[in-house]
Amino acid sequence: MLELLGVTKVYRGGKRAVDEVTMRLGTGLVGLLGPNGAGKSSLMRITATITRPTSGRLLFEGADVVAAPNRLRRVLGYLPQDFGVYPHLTGREFLTYLAAVKGLSASSARRRIDELLALVNLTEAAKRPLRTYSGGMLRRVGIAQALLNDPRVLIVDEPTAGLDPEERIRFRDLLSDLAGDRLVLLSTHIVSDIESVATEIAILARGRLYCHTTPEGLLESTRGWVWQAEVNVNDIAELRTRFRVSRAMRTASGVRVRLLSPTPPFPGAVPVPPDLEDAYLKVIHAPHPHAAATEGVRR
Amino acid sequence: MRVLVALAVADFRERTRRLAYAVVLLAAVGLAWLAVPDPEGRWVIMNIGTYRGVYTSAYVGAVTALAGALWFLIGGFYVVRGAIPRDEQTRVGHLLATTPLSRTGYLAGKFLSNLMVLASMTAVLAVTAVVLQLLRGESRTLNPVDLVAPFVVLTFPVLAITSAAALWFDTTSRLRAGLGNIIWFFVALPAATAAQVTHAPLGGLGTSYVADSMYAAMTAQGLALDGAEFSVGLMYLDHPPTTFHWPGLEITGGMLLERMGMVLLACVLALVPAAWFGRFDPARTRYQEAAQPASSSPAGAAGPAGLPTPGGSPVLIDPGTGLALDMPQQAPSQSASFQGRPRTVPVPGWRTGRLITGELRILLKSASPWWWAGAATIAVTGLAVPVDNVPGALLAAWIWPILLWSRLGAQRVVDGVDTLLDAYPGVRPQLVAEWMAGVVLSMLTGAAPLLRFLIAQDGAGVAAWLGGALVIPSLALALGALSRGPRLFQIAYLSVWYLVVNGIAAFDYLGAVRHDGRLAGPHPLIIISLAGVLLAGALLIRTLRHVYR
Repeated sequence: MLELLGVTKVYRGGKRAVDEVTMRLGTGLVGLLGPNGAGKSSLMRITATITRPTSGRLLFEGADVVAAPNRLRRVLGYLPQDFGVYPHLTGREFLTYLAAVKGLSASSARRRIDELLALVNLTEAAKRPLRTYSGGMLRRVGIAQALLNDPRVLIVDEPTAGLDPEERIRFRDLLSDLAGDRLVLLSTHIVSDIESVATEIAILARGRLYCHTTPEGLLESTRGWVWQAEVNVNDIAELRTRFRVSRAMRTASGVRVRLLSPTPPFPGAVPVPPDLEDAYLKVIHAPHPHAAATEGVRR
Repeated sequence: MRVLVALAVADFRERTRRLAYAVVLLAAVGLAWLAVPDPEGRWVIMNIGTYRGVYTSAYVGAVTALAGALWFLIGGFYVVRGAIPRDEQTRVGHLLATTPLSRTGYLAGKFLSNLMVLASMTAVLAVTAVVLQLLRGESRTLNPVDLVAPFVVLTFPVLAITSAAALWFDTTSRLRAGLGNIIWFFVALPAATAAQVTHAPLGGLGTSYVADSMYAAMTAQGLALDGAEFSVGLMYLDHPPTTFHWPGLEITGGMLLERMGMVLLACVLALVPAAWFGRFDPARTRYQEAAQPASSSPAGAAGPAGLPTPGGSPVLIDPGTGLALDMPQQAPSQSASFQGRPRTVPVPGWRTGRLITGELRILLKSASPWWWAGAATIAVTGLAVPVDNVPGALLAAWIWPILLWSRLGAQRVVDGVDTLLDAYPGVRPQLVAEWMAGVVLSMLTGAAPLLRFLIAQDGAGVAAWLGGALVIPSLALALGALSRGPRLFQIAYLSVWYLVVNGIAAFDYLGAVRHDGRLAGPHPLIIISLAGVLLAGALLIRTLRHVYR
């Protein structure tokens, strides 16, 4: 459905935000993970046709998106990390305006907006000016606008920021549900946002794609690397210099640590099954694999 | 003091690393070019009757310094204002508010930063003056003291006043947006005129110091004054001016005291807003009403006032006593977001009408009831005035919506909606709808004068009205799309409107200037064509932004 071929973005001043990223994306929920500053938002903006790549190609169903973005835009839903609203319009008026910009017919837009307002629990607030909305409510307006045209490609950048914990869970379920018949590209730096719903995971660090695989593939590649042990609290600092510690939890007798190591780190450490956070840490702290190998990891 | 300087320098760096600053510096070069024109040219910016001084360092310095003082008083304000709202918008203000930095310290830093920006423009003006002195070639002797002294004595105190005034506008909720730009225009113009009279308080712009000195030099050289008036401002003379030698400005102790008094006054004025400046506390200001990026606001809908305890269980706090209350049974969540899935399949359809309606809403919904009352009053006046005064009524009718027009092309950027719209299809339909909303606004506010023209069977008036109704939103859209903000249109349109009010026919875009009952300005077809060019320009700018995104 969507192909990124050697996509690179170099900003003025030489900052290489995205570096030779190649991915082929089909139906399903793709979680784009990476630390802050990894280039996730730049890649999302490129994919959402907002930013033009410096080099490389972006294809939607074989057609060049960079040269002719409207074909993708017509079927695209995009929720950026930061966005604004017209503060004097009501929630409904704002969505009605955006539906018109997207080219929806009046009657279908009206029905769709009613449903979306109910979906994001803003029906009662729909007649209030947007300037009176809280941050979480505005985020839900953003989610509603992304779904206005029932997009075939849904790109959401850090979508759960501003949602309460219960909303986060339900929103993840909604995305998982939607991903059944479309591409959902979700960018986040919070592993738990995608671990239960992603069908594929792409990890970006320093602008480069480190891995694009399934969650199972990612876990498999980390199997045998994760160890757990009870250590003295005073040993933690030294341990952190030698190993990648993924978690440390205080117990009555000391600290239970979970760390990454290809071999047993020290006597007493027991191997444990990896989770996505372990796998993520292993990937982003490894040297970048060759581009061809990166693509090859994908199952 | 160290904190103050650090604040000012950081703010100065932030401003000078924007493209707009380079444009402003270029404008300073242009101003110097105007101030020291070709010796054979007839355009002058400072003259005494048909005389001007030989282009020595002293004269070139004085003329560029005075032109700078005049320009920076009016235009410099628009360059430096916005420092405090920018801190609010970027959230830097929230960070600063949590530091020990006091209100007066913060304002002093901003004042210093404003002053540095204007001073840097003045420095460019001075350097350009040197180049121009050498280029014009009337005197090749460079005297740095003679050249720089007028900038220090005449221009700098005016910069300080402008810098302080910008802080007043930035800290006053009603003045911090577009209304402040309009009000400053009408405050600064008469102030600039008043500041040029003899015995202006604290020397005003410093015009009288230079004028008196030049009169004295001319008298000493036996040149006939014959009531020749000293004037500063762009003028066209019938013949190239005759030159005389001016030895330069003699800086007296009294003059220095007056100018230092002006700087001191500016310093005091800059700190006065500490009395009402809210220090970015939304509870004390209207900042909260500004559009905020969705992700930076507090998370989620308001829940119960639960606080984490060491044991991990939340407690409820009595807001009156501050004591913990018994924890009630956990209430079921009121939130029911993201349940189910929309079923309606959206289909494409005709959208032009809804787009225009949406754009009209965006334009008009920010207008207060007071704005509508003002528009109604102007409309009623337009219906009541004698027919000869209808063009004047149209001028009033078409200055009133300036703040609304100025949103065209810029509002999506100002409110941050462009981050959504840039991923939407259809640049052209959006832009045309935006323009049409602006045209509807022109027609709505100009309806009463149009009715009068129609009743009076004034075909020329109707044609000129149509030109105006089309060209104003076109100009707004083009400048809004170009600058991505409302300020450029506000200043440009005010300036053109002011010229028309003063009867300058060449700028008459709405048929207000008439000679013997006939239109004295450009033909309405020219204005309509100009509207088309501006609209095309706006479209080109928006399209190019999308292409080179």
